[in-house]
Amino acid sequence: MSSRNSRVRALFVAAMLLPALVWADARVEARRHFKTGMALIADGKLDDGISELLEAYGIRPHPNVLFNIARAYEAGGRPAEALVFYNRYLDANPPDAEKVREIALKLEAQAPKKVTPIAPAEEPREVKRAPQVDEATVKRLDALAERLERAVEKAEARVETPAPAENKPVAADDFGVPYEETVVAASRRAQATLDAPNAITVITGDEIRASGLVSLADILRRVPGAEVMTMGLASANVSFRGFNQRIANKVLLLIDGRPEYQDFLGVTLWGVLPVGLEEIERVEVIRGPGSALYGANAMLGVVNVITRAPGSGPNAEFNAMAGNANLAGGSFVASGGDKVRFRASVGYQQGDKYTRDYANDRPDLISTSDDPNLGLRSARGNLTAFYAFNKDYSIALSAGVNRLYTELYALGLLRNYTLDGLGGYAKFDFTGGPVKFRFFWNHSNFDAKPQYEPIGQRSLATSVDTNVFDGEALFQKEFSLAGTHVVAIGLSARLKRVSWGYIGPLTQEVHAAAFVQDEWRIIKPLTLSASYRIDRHPLLDKGKPGYAQSPRVSLVVRPFESHAFRASFATAFRQPTFLESYMDIRTPVPGVTGASVLTSGNRELRPERLISFEVGYRGELPQLGITVDLAGYWNIVNDLIVLSAVNPVNPADAFDEPSQSFLLGRSLFTNDAQEYTARGAELGVTWNATKGLDVRASAAFQSVVANGRVSVCGPCTQAPAVKVNAGFIYRTPVNLDLSADLSFVTSTIWVEREPSPQDPTQITNPQNPLAAYTVINARVGYRLFNDKVTVAVVGSQLGPSHQEHPFGNNVNRRVFAQLTVQP
Amino acid sequence: MMRLMLMMALLCSACEAPPVFAGEEGDERQKGPALGRIEGQVIVGTATRGRIVLFLYDAARPPPPVGTGRPLTFTVVSRESVFGAALDGDTGPFTAPFAFSLRGPGRYLIRGFVDSNDDFIPWYGVTADTTQGDVGGAAIDPVTRASRVVEIGVDEAGLPIPALDVPVSFSDAAKLPVDRPIFSVVGGMESVMLNGQPKVIELQATPINEGVMNQPTPAFLVRFVDDNADGVPDDANGDGIPEVWPRVVVRKIQTGPNPLIDENDVDKNGIVDAVGESYEHSNAPDDDQPDVVVLAAGFDVTEYAPALVDAMGRVKTTPTAVPRLKLVLQPRAFDAANPTAPQPIRAVPIGHYAITVIQQTGQTWRVPNELGLEDALRPVGLPLVSSQSFVIKVQ
Repeated sequence: MSSRNSRVRALFVAAMLLPALVWADARVEARRHFKTGMALIADGKLDDGISELLEAYGIRPHPNVLFNIARAYEAGGRPAEALVFYNRYLDANPPDAEKVREIALKLEAQAPKKVTPIAPAEEPREVKRAPQVDEATVKRLDALAERLERAVEKAEARVETPAPAENKPVAADDFGVPYEETVVAASRRAQATLDAPNAITVITGDEIRASGLVSLADILRRVPGAEVMTMGLASANVSFRGFNQRIANKVLLLIDGRPEYQDFLGVTLWGVLPVGLEEIERVEVIRGPGSALYGANAMLGVVNVITRAPGSGPNAEFNAMAGNANLAGGSFVASGGDKVRFRASVGYQQGDKYTRDYANDRPDLISTSDDPNLGLRSARGNLTAFYAFNKDYSIALSAGVNRLYTELYALGLLRNYTLDGLGGYAKFDFTGGPVKFRFFWNHSNFDAKPQYEPIGQRSLATSVDTNVFDGEALFQKEFSLAGTHVVAIGLSARLKRVSWGYIGPLTQEVHAAAFVQDEWRIIKPLTLSASYRIDRHPLLDKGKPGYAQSPRVSLVVRPFESHAFRASFATAFRQPTFLESYMDIRTPVPGVTGASVLTSGNRELRPERLISFEVGYRGELPQLGITVDLAGYWNIVNDLIVLSAVNPVNPADAFDEPSQSFLLGRSLFTNDAQEYTARGAELGVTWNATKGLDVRASAAFQSVVANGRVSVCGPCTQAPAVKVNAGFIYRTPVNLDLSADLSFVTSTIWVEREPSPQDPTQITNPQNPLAAYTVINARVGYRLFNDKVTVAVVGSQLGPSHQEHPFGNNVNRRVFAQLTVQP
Repeated sequence: MMRLMLMMALLCSACEAPPVFAGEEGDERQKGPALGRIEGQVIVGTATRGRIVLFLYDAARPPPPVGTGRPLTFTVVSRESVFGAALDGDTGPFTAPFAFSLRGPGRYLIRGFVDSNDDFIPWYGVTADTTQGDVGGAAIDPVTRASRVVEIGVDEAGLPIPALDVPVSFSDAAKLPVDRPIFSVVGGMESVMLNGQPKVIELQATPINEGVMNQPTPAFLVRFVDDNADGVPDDANGDGIPEVWPRVVVRKIQTGPNPLIDENDVDKNGIVDAVGESYEHSNAPDDDQPDVVVLAAGFDVTEYAPALVDAMGRVKTTPTAVPRLKLVLQPRAFDAANPTAPQPIRAVPIGHYAITVIQQTGQTWRVPNELGLEDALRPVGLPLVSSQSFVIKVQ
């Protein structure tokens, strides 16, 4: 075999095998090689450049890399090699196949012999035709070829390696700019992160797995501006840019486009999601308003979890974990299929609370749980199936069930609750050319009760049964008119049915929405996005059906290829939850058995409103492996839905028959008359420092002020002024994986409703100072048997024990071992 | 792999129950020390129907008529749980459980009543008492029939010991014959000035039937005090004037717009504030401690005296209901912070004073009260009764 042939073959075969090797963030690493390669080619260093491109391809196969290699060979006067790579590119069935096929035919005509897809049969005369390749380069390439040949031999000695990714079907979205980070959450279609009209952060599945963390909320700490407040092992509240609270309700969590927002309460159960983290492909986080596309509740941000596509990833994966404090769990994920692709998973997880509020055998309190130590238990199963009729038409079905037990820290005078019950969903997606239909059903059935109740006091245990049915149609079309437009038009309707002891008999609401968005690329560096959404809510007009409108305008300028500047104006809203509209409960006054506080819903609430101005910059220096994300925002928040003070009831209504107690007063959900301004800046930097090493750091600074006079401003003092996160992932060449991250949050003061300790019939709002805290997580992993087995030790909350809310658990260390097997 | 298994085994061996949150600074209210509870049963022997309201008092501060203590907490036993489907006229006894939760160690008294007309509302002074037809009850010693002190003790580990199986008895013997001693001052005055001379004002029992106030039969239940049951009226302070029921307290109130707050009891818990107004005592060095200023005052029952004794001249054991009483106000003030040994104050403190009448049944009425407050201060739903804003002024 000639040296040229061997080099090409070695490079290509090695590239096929490289996915089995180690990368911290494969995309970043591949992008760095790709950019370096293209720069070298532009400098006339063809072979060096192509070796970089092949390196990139080896890390993460992308058809357009093959195209670029082919183009480079063709431009360098080496048609034989060019033909090899054009043919490989055509194997991926690209959109421009016809055009490329013509090029290939021309090249075949030029070439004296037909070239096989794997190795060109003809000895290329590259030295003559490429005089720019000097002797030193030839020597270096020869050395590289030898090294790769050895790698090939070593690889061939292994057991069968996973099939290269290009053997899998390639979606049209895969033919974008190679290795450019893409997101779908920002515009409901795949687009480069640089083009996104929002501040957006992507956390890849690789990052999640490398962290070893088992809670999505913990992982979100690395998002600049994210506020993650751990209350218990499986109880967390997440917000962005301020306004976090017990039962945080201003961030929308989507799993494959299906909301996990519990409509009855307005909360997301971050600790007991229906899918395991090992099933996640990536998480896209929109920091800032998302109502223009997602409607209600996407007020401060959207967390869009995208799971691995059915049939992708390992065919089987087994995970197990065990650690201190009864932490244990496991999962099995199977993925495969040909015509009908599927992913099926089952999982289990359990763990004790960080701390218990009370000891056993208290003479005054009783635990309502069978196991008062338990903080989390979840047994889940999911099945997703996908079938493509052809390139344009496909259907997907998914369903899951989750038997769960978790904690929840409720509002007002209520404290630590447990939810014990069943969650389930079913979802159907149909894609037909430019039209997509989606239908889902979310179901929850919980027994909810305070984890501890005073002996002798009326119990607040309740049960809730909810069903949400949602249908959406989406039409997307690209056309040219004074530039390029990508238009999306959507219609949706949602039926919510809630039966809950706290709100009375079965209550239902019908919602509807329509939205339109146009991304207009006026000229190449300039894109104007305009979105408008209108939501119909059955109560928004003083208890009658009303409308909430959410416009968004965003301008993205990309003066240079990897740099984007962004300015946007948007509004967003959060609609009243069932709790806020219909609540009707009597909370016993602690220590005064004969008295209760009536908490009432309000059907005339206005939605919470956000007006947001944002500027941002996102830049990538691929050759250095650095990505910079900078955002500044100015948010004006109105009509926050809060609990009013406890006002006396009319004396004639003082005795409450249902509770057989005297009503100390009534607290009504109401719109806060105060307007708040939140200003802040967020900086995130990632650095692919060297092969296998990713370093990440972010900082967020914010200030929340009340625009009017107020003696005590809860939203102002509860928002930490500074949040810092830093971490790294290092996948060493010796199969040892290291990762760690640190989050620091400055001190806050929480204004929470409490009965006066001196006189419980006096309901007060004392200020509870909360000290600054640091969260440290780390993982040490080791890969065995060609990465088929990974063992790891993970430590979470390794920093000093602390509280993240005055009523929350005293968060402390968890250490556990993990085992992952991918047979 | 062996190392992995060993590591997992070690980790699992470290499994343990989560620690109990010790309670950190600022969080004691949420996760503070263990408290106790009191549980028992109400035992009701009456044909009167209604929910039962139970009050818990500090044994050191008993309620009227013995003292002026205010309840620490209260609970309700539903009519349904006590009487169920009992037939009218059935006098029981009926029983039902009750509980006072989250109580710290201490000694307590329990009082209660069957609210026969569902007019008790604990949040306002004018509605937070028994009315005619209510049946009183208390935790009493089953042997001595004396009031029982219920104690939440502490065990060796420092944990409170709940008081369990506490009986609270109700019977028609404690049925209230009249409404509260609602009164107004005869003459329609808004106030009366006390300026160095004794002053006599006349209190008129005044029915109020408006809104939630439905007390048509107020009266003063008058009798001579005869605690030693010797048939002779007691004269405990030796001033030569027999003591009578009802008692009266004329106490200085806080200066300000809200006349419902007694001076040096801003939190209205019946306990003298730690910091407050102090006045110079006549016969003792000034202690700089907040004072409970009361005026020397008493009812003049001369006109009713014949009716208060029997044919033998002995004190009647049953009171006589009268519609009017003369209240004699003396220009002398005392510090009653220690009610068993009131200390004279050198000069009568300037300010406003409220009149509280305490019946032997424990029923009380105070003027000024919520019914006399101006609209902005008066709780919504309570009627305006102008006579209830009366105050005694000292200048």
